[in-house]
Amino acid sequence: MIVVSNVSKMFTQAEECVQALSHVSLHVAQGECVLLKGASGSGKSTLLSLIAGLAQPTSGSIVVDGEEISKMPERLSAKMRRERIGFIFQKFHLIPYLSVQENVTTPLVPENIPLHVIEAKAKRAMERCRIAHKAHMYVHRLSGGEQQRTAIARALVRNPMIVLADEPTANLDRKLSLSLIEELRALKHEGVTLVVATHDPLFFDLDFVDQTIELHHGVLRP
Amino acid sequence: MLFSFRWLLLEYAVRSLFRRFGKNFFIFFILSFLIFILSSVLMIAESIKAELNATLKTLPDMTLQRFVAGKQTLIPVSRVDALLEIQGVGSVTPRIWGYYYFKPAGVNFSVVGLDAYEEPYSATMARLIKDVDWTQRSPSPTMIVGEGVKTILRENYYNDFFNFITPEGQTKKVGIAGVFHSDLALEANDLIVLPKQTAYEIFGMNASDATDIVLKVSANVSEIPTIVAKIIEKFPDLRVVTRDDIRVSYQNIFDYKSGFFLALFCVCAFAFFIIVYDKSNALSSEEKKEIGILKALGWDTDTVLQEKFFESFILSLGAFLFGLATALFYVYALQAPLLRAIFTGYSTLKPPFALPYTLSGSMIVLLFLLSVPVYIAATLIPAWRTSIVDADEVLR
Amino acid sequence: MTLTPEIIALLTLDVIFLGLGTLALILSLRIAYRWDYAAVTPLQYRLTKQSTLVAVIIKYIFVLKLPLFLFFIYTCDKLSAVITGAMCASGVVNSIGFGLDLTLFKLFNLYGFGFWLLLHAEDASHVRLAYTRLKLILFALLCVPLFTEIILEIGFFTRLDVSKIVSCCGTLFSAASSSASLSLLFNVDARVWVGIFYLVYTVSLIALWLKSTAGVIVSNTLFLIFALISLIVFFSTYVYELPTHRCPFCLLQKEYYYVGYGLYVMLFTGTFCAVGGGLLASITHTIPYRYWRLSGFFNTAYVVSISAYPLAYYLKNGVWL
Ligand SMILES: Nc1ncnc2c1ncn2[C@@H]1O[C@H](COP(=O)(O)OP(=O)(O)OP(=O)(O)O)[C@@H](O)[C@H]1O
Ligand SMILES: [Mg+2]
Repeated sequence: MIVVSNVSKMFTQAEECVQALSHVSLHVAQGECVLLKGASGSGKSTLLSLIAGLAQPTSGSIVVDGEEISKMPERLSAKMRRERIGFIFQKFHLIPYLSVQENVTTPLVPENIPLHVIEAKAKRAMERCRIAHKAHMYVHRLSGGEQQRTAIARALVRNPMIVLADEPTANLDRKLSLSLIEELRALKHEGVTLVVATHDPLFFDLDFVDQTIELHHGVLRP
Repeated sequence: MLFSFRWLLLEYAVRSLFRRFGKNFFIFFILSFLIFILSSVLMIAESIKAELNATLKTLPDMTLQRFVAGKQTLIPVSRVDALLEIQGVGSVTPRIWGYYYFKPAGVNFSVVGLDAYEEPYSATMARLIKDVDWTQRSPSPTMIVGEGVKTILRENYYNDFFNFITPEGQTKKVGIAGVFHSDLALEANDLIVLPKQTAYEIFGMNASDATDIVLKVSANVSEIPTIVAKIIEKFPDLRVVTRDDIRVSYQNIFDYKSGFFLALFCVCAFAFFIIVYDKSNALSSEEKKEIGILKALGWDTDTVLQEKFFESFILSLGAFLFGLATALFYVYALQAPLLRAIFTGYSTLKPPFALPYTLSGSMIVLLFLLSVPVYIAATLIPAWRTSIVDADEVLR
Repeated sequence: MTLTPEIIALLTLDVIFLGLGTLALILSLRIAYRWDYAAVTPLQYRLTKQSTLVAVIIKYIFVLKLPLFLFFIYTCDKLSAVITGAMCASGVVNSIGFGLDLTLFKLFNLYGFGFWLLLHAEDASHVRLAYTRLKLILFALLCVPLFTEIILEIGFFTRLDVSKIVSCCGTLFSAASSSASLSLLFNVDARVWVGIFYLVYTVSLIALWLKSTAGVIVSNTLFLIFALISLIVFFSTYVYELPTHRCPFCLLQKEYYYVGYGLYVMLFTGTFCAVGGGLLASITHTIPYRYWRLSGFFNTAYVVSISAYPLAYYLKNGVWL
């Protein structure tokens, strides 16, 4: 499903080079759940954004679902992201002053889908994340837990085959974190491929994690 | 599909506009105001032009003026017969008219001499004096005046007569027989019509002369150049002003005036667009974050650009429609207080004529072209700058 | 120099086009020079982004140029009321020596930039952006006629003199025309031009049927040229129902129910789809069925509607003009 081969990523900023990732190789099969560990600044977010095609690696290649996302023009990688990849961000990253439903439907906007289809999809995603009762509430009025559920609903609205989560529990208390883990477990049971970057100890030793990988200053430590 | 329309994106753009209400409202307000000024100026100009054209229609086909040493002088009435011999000339009427300076009020009246038995030389004139009992013969001469003249005379305590002062310094008492009531107030407002004989006395002119001669053409309009050539051949000291000449010069004056305004306006607009450019160029971090999120959710640069385009388009179209509507109301319902003075300010008497309604499709197109595309051009590069924000930079 | 509001509007937009166009030209030359799709350098990354700016600018210019072309003709038409001797836009256009060239440049640019947009759409959906360099070089080349047009237009309006007496379309489009190439058209029998017109139309249909790319391009280019010639020397007289009135501009006036707009849209769309689609096909090595179908449809619609005029006249009056 996801094949990362020999990927390096270098950031150049004002004559200074930061090697965020060096020679990382990784293989994630379909339906697998991979846990990406590592200290702050070790390159977890960078790896996830490379997999999602948000940035291009300095060298190496990344193949997602049979297509080389690392070499794609932006327009096509965006389409891929839209259709096959759901993203849960480090800090929910909801768009303020939009309602829950509007936030959930943003990934559908670029496509010209009829309105009733969109509403049906949004309703399904919101129901599954137990946020449908707040559909028309502005997201900045929601509690942290509700915001998190909205973010998940938004990631799931297109029924992605791959869900990438970047420290999904970073801003949550223990109870909410546990409920999120249950959510991920449910996804895993549905056959969704999961890549979760975290340094939250709650995630260690989970039964549904197939692979745990540790990044250390941009280098993979199995 | 190459051009499938994205309604959802449009909806998103509308929401986005309302989310940044303060900033967008400021732009909307200024832009509407500029469009309002621009539309008003152009509409007033167009309207006055229409009014003048209506007036021109009633003018004689040709006016003959005599020039001696480069100055206009009087024409001997004896030439009328010679002119009538030219083929294609319908009727020839010598006119006696001029300006009378009324010192106490500091204004000029237009004085026209007309005899009762004579056929009025223009349709307007005929309309003006139609309702007045012109044939009544009172012992002293009488005149008919425009409303503006009447008001000014009354302010100077002349209620039913007026004392003209002739060049010899004598007074000439003329009774006021009536007042014009005409919708064509533009030219009738400062007008005084009185018998020819009286006019000669007031101006101190010899009865064998005329101020100028007006001429009606009986042949086809396309024959006018030939007739003009013949007249000049016969009387080289005459200058022929055709109705078309007057029309062109009027049109030039007004195009020039509104063009001048437009040029001034362009400077203001330019300043405004610099502000817009500056404002939308400075991307707020919140906006930057939003774009980053959208990109991570699968929007591409083109989609973001299109969304930004929709925003500018809706904003400028809204401002355009709003500005246009207010201008319509201001010009035609309120009769453009303040602004119309710029256009009619050159006449000493400000005639209270109504601006006729003349909004044409081309005017709307023109106003549109001067507002919406220009605004979009100003936001083009800022929009691009927004659209290329990197998702991964924002999401860390 | 006459500054009517219409002219100021056109000039303002011209200045904007000139500014944005220059920016796009500089960018596109730089991108075309440095472009390397395979590279993952920050430079290439920047170039990719800048190429979107070039595309946006060109789209902006084209989308406005399309209605502005009509607006230009309309403005000239309106000015013809002011200028002595001019009866329609053609008198105004021809009052300046290069007026006709300006109009032809405008037309050429519409075709050129239209094709650029086709190529751009093709490039944007290509997995390796294979045509980016090509489209940018094409744009750089198209800048020459674009800037020529803008400069000509500015020169045209600043030099336009409303007090000058010009000739009307009746003398411009006749054997007595001052332009040698124009008068040549009228010295040849109109039937020859009409014959060539129908012949080229038939050839273009055959080329479409044979799916010969080169054939379609050549025959449609010729079709456009001969359609315009035969319109001037022959068909327009039937629209006006006057044997001496030959003019490609008066068609656009209200007296003739603005029929010119419809005719020109059909003719230009039809030939554009054929030539543009054909050029695209020779670059991408595919057959642009969609464009060619459209082309066949519009060209035929044009031929049918323009032929209807003389036919209707003959049926009504029993004689040819
Ligand atoms: N655009 C950039 N420019 C310069 N340096 C960058 C950029 N993006 C990331 N880095 C650097 O790359 C390294 C890895 O960053 P990354 O965000 O992937 O870490 P992380 O593992 O997600 O950390 P955290 O747990 O704090 O989120 C850091 O040292 C960071 O400073
Ligand atoms: Mg991180």
